[in-house]
Amino acid sequence: MMNRLDTLFKNTCKVMEVLLILIFALLVLDVLWQVFSRYLLNRSFSWTEEFARFSLIWLAILGAAYLSAKREHLSMDFLYQKFSSAKKKKVLLLIEVCVFLFALIVMVIGGFNLVYTTLDLEQLSGTLRIPLGYVYSIFPFSGLLMMCFSIYHIAKINSNQITE
Amino acid sequence: MSIEVLSIIVLFVSFFILLMLKVPVAFSIGISTTISLLLNIDSLPGITTIAQRMITGIDSFALLAIPFFVLAGEIMKRGGIANRLINFAKSLVASLPGGLAYVNVLASMLFGAISGSAIAATSAIGSIMTDRMEEEGYPREFSASVNITSSTTGLLIPPSNILIVYALASGGTASVAALFIAGYLPGILLGLALMGYVAFVAIRRKFSKEQRAPLKEIWTYFRKAFFSLLLLFIVVGGIVAGVFTATEASVIAVLYAAILALIYGDIRVKDFPSVLLTSAKTTAVVMFLICTSMAMSWLFSFESVPELMSNFLLEQFSNKFVIFLVINIILLIVGTFMDITPAVLIFTPIFLPVVVALGMDPVHFGIVMVLNLCIGLCTPPVGTILFVGSGVAKISVSQVIKPLLPFLAIMVIVLLLVLYIPEISMFLPRLFDL
Amino acid sequence: KEESGTKTLYLAHTLPQTHPVHKGILKFQESLDKKSNGTLKIKIFPDGQLGSEREVLELLQIGSVAITKVSAATMSNFVPEYHVLGIPYLFRDKEHQFDVLEGPIGKSILEKGSKFYLRGLCYYDAGSRSFYTSNKAIRTPDDLKGLKIRVMNNQMAINMVNAMGGSATPMAYGELYTAIQQGVVDGAENNPPSFVSSNHFEVSKYYTLDQHSAVPDVLLISTKYWEKLTDQEKIWVQEAAEESSEAEKKYWNDSVEESMKIATEAGVEIIIPEKSLFAEKSKSVLEEFEKENPDLSSLIEQIKKN
Ligand code: NA
Ligand code: NA
Repeated sequence: MMNRLDTLFKNTCKVMEVLLILIFALLVLDVLWQVFSRYLLNRSFSWTEEFARFSLIWLAILGAAYLSAKREHLSMDFLYQKFSSAKKKKVLLLIEVCVFLFALIVMVIGGFNLVYTTLDLEQLSGTLRIPLGYVYSIFPFSGLLMMCFSIYHIAKINSNQITE
Repeated sequence: MSIEVLSIIVLFVSFFILLMLKVPVAFSIGISTTISLLLNIDSLPGITTIAQRMITGIDSFALLAIPFFVLAGEIMKRGGIANRLINFAKSLVASLPGGLAYVNVLASMLFGAISGSAIAATSAIGSIMTDRMEEEGYPREFSASVNITSSTTGLLIPPSNILIVYALASGGTASVAALFIAGYLPGILLGLALMGYVAFVAIRRKFSKEQRAPLKEIWTYFRKAFFSLLLLFIVVGGIVAGVFTATEASVIAVLYAAILALIYGDIRVKDFPSVLLTSAKTTAVVMFLICTSMAMSWLFSFESVPELMSNFLLEQFSNKFVIFLVINIILLIVGTFMDITPAVLIFTPIFLPVVVALGMDPVHFGIVMVLNLCIGLCTPPVGTILFVGSGVAKISVSQVIKPLLPFLAIMVIVLLLVLYIPEISMFLPRLFDL
Repeated sequence: KEESGTKTLYLAHTLPQTHPVHKGILKFQESLDKKSNGTLKIKIFPDGQLGSEREVLELLQIGSVAITKVSAATMSNFVPEYHVLGIPYLFRDKEHQFDVLEGPIGKSILEKGSKFYLRGLCYYDAGSRSFYTSNKAIRTPDDLKGLKIRVMNNQMAINMVNAMGGSATPMAYGELYTAIQQGVVDGAENNPPSFVSSNHFEVSKYYTLDQHSAVPDVLLISTKYWEKLTDQEKIWVQEAAEESSEAEKKYWNDSVEESMKIATEAGVEIIIPEKSLFAEKSKSVLEEFEKENPDLSSLIEQIKKN
């Protein structure tokens, strides 16, 4: 069971890595294109800026889920370092519960309601004319991923495979 | 007790507890904001509002400069640029008493300037310099202190991501171009002040010095570092001269760094995916912090905290110099507990209206604020540069605190100078009419 | 949180407190307070404290903010009819404009937002927009040729500037001052009070009063809050809004006068061009708009006939 979960986790991370690299590469090309079209072709395309902004949102939010998977969000372990290992385990579990709850309440429920509202109201973006709900959908989606990663980490902490 | 006061107390207490329990900073901010907002409004609108603030908080073209400067820095880091800068700095200043410590400061300034990130400077320079300095008799704690504090100069010397964040938080009243050019003198002043203290210690403790490098050697190392340093002129010069915006300049920096790294053979095309992934992670750390910080900042506006704070300050203190001092003391406290990005995003809207009403230029305040919060980056309990710096020096945080104290005192003195002598920050922006 | 029997409605907008529309909103707050004997209060968040126009609109729909003021252009993302109000040279003059807005046509457009939880209460005068440039004077549409003009990021504004011969450059408002100063763009377009309050007049030599479009502002209430009001309260809110709209027109005129004085004294050359030349050039915008939105042609005809 755990083995299969490990494989699933690894593969999910791989897919996210590929996505993040692609989004970042597109972002670079998009803004480069904006600069060159402005200076060399002397015209500007209004979609380049919007595309860049939306890509940044995806990069940041999907990246945040990836950081959750890798447990690489910025955190302060000043006090934590002084705890005994039994206490550390409890704290680690508590951290995952906190992440899980925030992901569930704000990112999944709040984010889904936001996506639902903007889709329901047919809000389109200014120039690309894509529904804003699609852009925002990365938010509840990443929240869902974060919840899964938290559960996975909790299992790992319980079986003492994560100790720090 | 009014609900506003209660919810602000709940906010700070829950934030502090979560933070101390090693809950990631971004989540600590997000969770405490959520709890506090839900004391005020219905739950579904409340959590949806937080979700909306998090997303719209990073929906900004100006913020794109951050991932691009991160990426440019990452490309250069892979290519041994740290070594090239250290060698150049060494040929310049290693022959002075305490020479290697100067090398550390100067290399941190150059590297921090290029990469726009203090953490990158701390780890890149510190990992090389601490061992070299130890070989020549510098205690590791001392080297770490030099490295930690001097890395913060990179946040003032452009390009600087935190100044971009401040420009965003100032609501456009301070332009990125003006902030960038304003950061030069305070950043250099801080570097020089740290060197001054190093000289004092070096002479007293008789640290070794090296042979004066012949001009030819300086020239060789300069040539090797030249194209990396040229980037600074292209980027900052381009922004200041109005050739391009900060975001455009940042993507030019990526292109330039990539071409340079390919020419030097520092990096191969097949390395780019991993460079992009590392940069994506760094970007996500900062951006997710910005997301939840923007939500907390919104909550403060919703609770009229900026208004309350401004009334309080203006009623309690009659003299504007005292108010500036009080604001800086508050920021020093904030800085010890909060990372610099959320601190800038959350406290700029609170203090900027007050200082502007008292006649301070938003650009000047931005420099003061960043310099102030840099000090907090080097102090426990929450100090990312302190942790990274002691980490790469392979010593514990508590070992480094005592030798660090005089350096922090120097930073406070520089802060007071920059605070009360606006010309240090404003001379260059005025010269360039920004 | 509230004293028994009083309701507080949060109102957020993006304008500075010196702006005439903010003064209109203060009038709204005052009238409502008086009418309701202090039982209906408005708490105002100016200066974009709670977010940009589009963000606050979303907060109205989400239900955490009750009232906001946005440009009609922003509302056109929801209600296409608002697009029509931005068509260049649609209104003959201010009188025609407000006859339309305060008549059945304007009211029906305000109503239409309810479907999106954004119920319109009244219009505020936001004057008419004109070009300003840093170095090259625009005296006829031909002068626009090759000039990079910053516009709001919406299709009609982009089409209009391009149709007149300029090169439309959408850009964030906050970056504009530096962009004009450094020559990233050659100019922009806005109404006189914004031209002055943004300090853009400091970096512009010419202000060409071609008055190409007159997009009004709209005061909106979230239907989530509107439906919680009693019938009597609804009447108070509506009346207070209309009173504030009347008052705002005067504040606006004063502000235009004062702004023009400041700009002139700062050395900006005010150019009064032959408007019909610009109107002629921009006709294609209307034609294209009607081609893309055939269902709105009748509304345009109605407005023209009004
Ligand atoms: Na820098
Ligand atoms: Na600290």
